Amino acid sequence: MGDILDVIKTRRSIRKYRPDRVPEDMIQKILEAARWAPTGENHQPWRLIVIRDPVTKRKIAHLARMGSGSLATAEYCMGRMRQFEAIRDSREREKVERFMYTGEVSVFLGHAPLLIVVAGSCDALDTPYDLSACAENMILEAHSLGLGACWVQAPLGSPRSEMKVKELLGIPSGITEYKALMVLSFGWPDGPRSHPRPKKPLEAFVYWERFGRTERPEIV
Amino acid sequence: MSDQEITRYFNEMLAGLEELLYHELSGTAHKKVELVGIDFLQSRVIEGKTLEEIIEKCTREIISRGIVRHLEYSIHGFGILLKFEVEGCIHIPKEAKLKRDGAKPYMCPVANMIGDRILEILNYEVAYLANLDIDEDKGTCIVKYAVFENAQKIGQVSDWTEI
Repeated sequence: MGDILDVIKTRRSIRKYRPDRVPEDMIQKILEAARWAPTGENHQPWRLIVIRDPVTKRKIAHLARMGSGSLATAEYCMGRMRQFEAIRDSREREKVERFMYTGEVSVFLGHAPLLIVVAGSCDALDTPYDLSACAENMILEAHSLGLGACWVQAPLGSPRSEMKVKELLGIPSGITEYKALMVLSFGWPDGPRSHPRPKKPLEAFVYWERFGRTERPEIV
Repeated sequence: MSDQEITRYFNEMLAGLEELLYHELSGTAHKKVELVGIDFLQSRVIEGKTLEEIIEKCTREIISRGIVRHLEYSIHGFGILLKFEVEGCIHIPKEAKLKRDGAKPYMCPVANMIGDRILEILNYEVAYLANLDIDEDKGTCIVKYAVFENAQKIGQVSDWTEI
């Protein structure tokens, strides 16, 4: 059995795509990867809506922009947008912050060749966790095929916006029926990511035997 | 139980739910509670054609029904930021309990119900609770609540910290 770590480590969230379609056989493989995700009590609550219609994609992109942009505008105005302080160049930092508070960060959904909305029935035990595993499977499979992908919450972050997405896609609207949790975009990457996102070293988050214990005990 | 005890009972229950929701969802919890409280004004007749008219009619209803004793509002930041200064809110014990338990209050049913009427009646697109500060000793809250009429309002930034 091959080691999947190389696939995991080389994956990036890709927001710029070439306009080329995602081939049908690749879509099928991505969906097949979803099918095999771990799921509590084998409930398989996921319902996947595959979207290629440009009008629907633009509507979802608009909702995403309103969702991420409203949050980022407020956080910036309240002086709480601190996640980019590590960027030393002030002009570069301002550019990234502007990308966030204008909601431009989410607009790419309208141009992605393929979207998959991940929804799930609420009558399972672990729906949000099952859907997250399902999404991760699809993203990793896409990357292994050479495609780019991105996981986006913005159009589904608030109940009002989620209701609009449900209405747009015909998902039953009752709050106890189906949960639409995330949108995934797929396509051929149009160049590498411009901003690397370094990962914490293991020592920063791995503890041994007890929370906070960073030294690795010897097993006798 | 007296009215006061009943109010405390329900506020403590709400605070418990908010704490659990925050524990489950972390920072995204506060975006998930925007519909809590909106039913109250949905069942009243609120009409108006401007932000000011809607807020004033909502405020009259909220005060007359005893949800808050006093509520003043002001509009800032290109018409995006609504500042509510609230006295004697029925939900202050909920916010106070959250603060005592080390959580920052993140759900204001009063702002939610006013925001809902703005979105529904004036056809605004999105609302967002930007900040909720309480002073339980004085029995007051200062709520900063953002309403976005349309996509053009997204990204119109200014300093809200001194407002």
